Amino acid sequence: MLPIAALMFFNEGQLTHLAPVDILILALYFAVVVFIGFYVKGSTNTSEQFFLAGREMSAWIAGLSFVSANLGSLELMGWAGAAYQYGMLATHWYWIGAIPAMLFLGIVMMPFYYISKTHSVPGYLQLRFGEGSRAIAAVSFGLMTILMSGVNMYAMALVMKVILGWDISFSIWVGAATVALYVMLGGLRSAIINEVLQFVLIWAGAALIPILGLVEAGGWTNLKAQIAVNVGSTDYTHLWTTLGHFRDNPMGVHWTGIVFGLGFVVSFGYWTTDFLVVQRVLSANNLRAAKMAPVIGAAFKMAVPFIVIVPGLLALAVLKNPDGSVLHLVGENAVNAAHPYSYNEVLPLMLIRYCGPGLLGLGITALVAGFMSGMAGNVSAFSTVWTYDIYGAFINKKASDKHYVFMGRLSTVVGMIVSILTAYLVAHAASIMDYVQALFSFFIAPLFGTVVLGMLWKRATRAGGFWGLLIGTASSIGMWLYTTYGGQVALARIALSGDARPMAETLYRALWAWLICVGVTVVVSYCTKPFTDTQLSGLVYGATPIPDDGAQTLFQKPLFWAVVVITVFFILNIVFF
Amino acid sequence: MADGTGRGERLSIWFFVGFLTLIYGLVLAPYGAWEWFGHHEAPTVLNNLHPTFWWGSFMLLFGAFYTIKFRPGKD
Repeated sequence: MLPIAALMFFNEGQLTHLAPVDILILALYFAVVVFIGFYVKGSTNTSEQFFLAGREMSAWIAGLSFVSANLGSLELMGWAGAAYQYGMLATHWYWIGAIPAMLFLGIVMMPFYYISKTHSVPGYLQLRFGEGSRAIAAVSFGLMTILMSGVNMYAMALVMKVILGWDISFSIWVGAATVALYVMLGGLRSAIINEVLQFVLIWAGAALIPILGLVEAGGWTNLKAQIAVNVGSTDYTHLWTTLGHFRDNPMGVHWTGIVFGLGFVVSFGYWTTDFLVVQRVLSANNLRAAKMAPVIGAAFKMAVPFIVIVPGLLALAVLKNPDGSVLHLVGENAVNAAHPYSYNEVLPLMLIRYCGPGLLGLGITALVAGFMSGMAGNVSAFSTVWTYDIYGAFINKKASDKHYVFMGRLSTVVGMIVSILTAYLVAHAASIMDYVQALFSFFIAPLFGTVVLGMLWKRATRAGGFWGLLIGTASSIGMWLYTTYGGQVALARIALSGDARPMAETLYRALWAWLICVGVTVVVSYCTKPFTDTQLSGLVYGATPIPDDGAQTLFQKPLFWAVVVITVFFILNIVFF
Repeated sequence: MADGTGRGERLSIWFFVGFLTLIYGLVLAPYGAWEWFGHHEAPTVLNNLHPTFWWGSFMLLFGAFYTIKFRPGKD
């Protein structure tokens, strides 16, 4: 969902260097995360402990981990750059592109994931639709995850090279070895603890930028006025007013694409079926915690634009050349002597602007923590899906629990080695990054169609689920090939307008792939023999008595807090309309 | 049971959160004070507000609160 490939084009030469106090802060972080890995190893002896953190996490830990797993450094840097480029439109990826889906996961879907006692999303598909659907989901997820981990690794190395001048191989190997060590030792538990730490560190390292920036700009109202003067338009500080037509906004999107493509399909697909994030919630210690975790995550997610979008907007107002004129950041391909910085350098530039030694180390530590927890998230999810849904399902079905834990640790190391190879592959052929990103987009939308029908529609059959998922995914790949090689004509057909830009293509392609998946699932299901209610018990709405989550008072009810969060969500959208 | 780290463990996840931020506060607050009172401020925008000292002090307090509240053996 974000322009990782753009980071490839950082300009030459490092932006800054670390003082001894910065290195001390970074070294303390590494020491603590490695210590945590060794510390929790004793509590990761069974497969449930290793892969699901013993299902012992409170709602707060699972919720912070859930939102943090997605809050990587590329996410921060990419969307800060997008905020500079597109203004507040980038906020949609944090609000409508996340909040409704997270609440839907917590209130509607989590009970089925949780009471089915599945270990993974492909595991749920196996229970609901059989081995075929599980195989498609597991293989595609495993491949996608491990490749993404490699991309993440290379991107980290590249960012460190650009900001600090570090050697690419040094960053790759130090990052990978540290992550492999603590995930191999402590499994998901290590990864979750690291994610909670990372969440705190990211706020500690990044929150000063918007705080000092707003002080410098003279408050929000003055910031908006300065942006309007500098860019010659008031559109950059509105969420919805420019979405009436594709050509009215720099993203080239229409509100239908944002609401239905992003807000419904892409967002619901990612937040409710991507096992990387769902795995965090499955670690909750009871049903109420499992329902509350995404609601807590959503509340924090709503606050993230403060440290991501606001710095991008601030850069539009406060960045100046030495002669006092406005400093214009440009697209990657337009970087030259007159315009030395690109959009994607917004966050580091703002960090350097306000943070001297010590605070700079904190900011860099936050970035490193974000990268490492992103890798840890990918590799822990990969080892779970590999062990349960590929190795345990198709290669060695009757091994002991101890053997599966061994396989989990082994696959963590092997997964990391494959990631390192991917990182070097990307270093030699940048276009691979684009393909990996595209790969991610192929599976998410159809998978959401299959899972949501599986949970909410009793009539969906085994064949319906399998063929819906297969044809939905194939259609997404087909549309991607069509728009990649078909030029503007193809883009106009998929995104419904000649003024559409590539961002719109992703949203509409997801929407069509989801509709095709749902259509095929419905048609094939009506042509095939349905399951009985008994067979669907614990898996589908209407065939499953939902157990009481134990909430006694209004303030203990996840639904109450979900209503609070969605109310704040609507208020924010109206305020920044 | 320590929250988040497993059955039988003594250090909770919140203790680690508090400990790391406390250590960072202990590094940043004195360093910020040295910058401020020794006139060694880095040439950053708004360095007259002494952000390293204040942010370090905030982290020190936050970290101390969590470290004490979730210290091992409290329960």
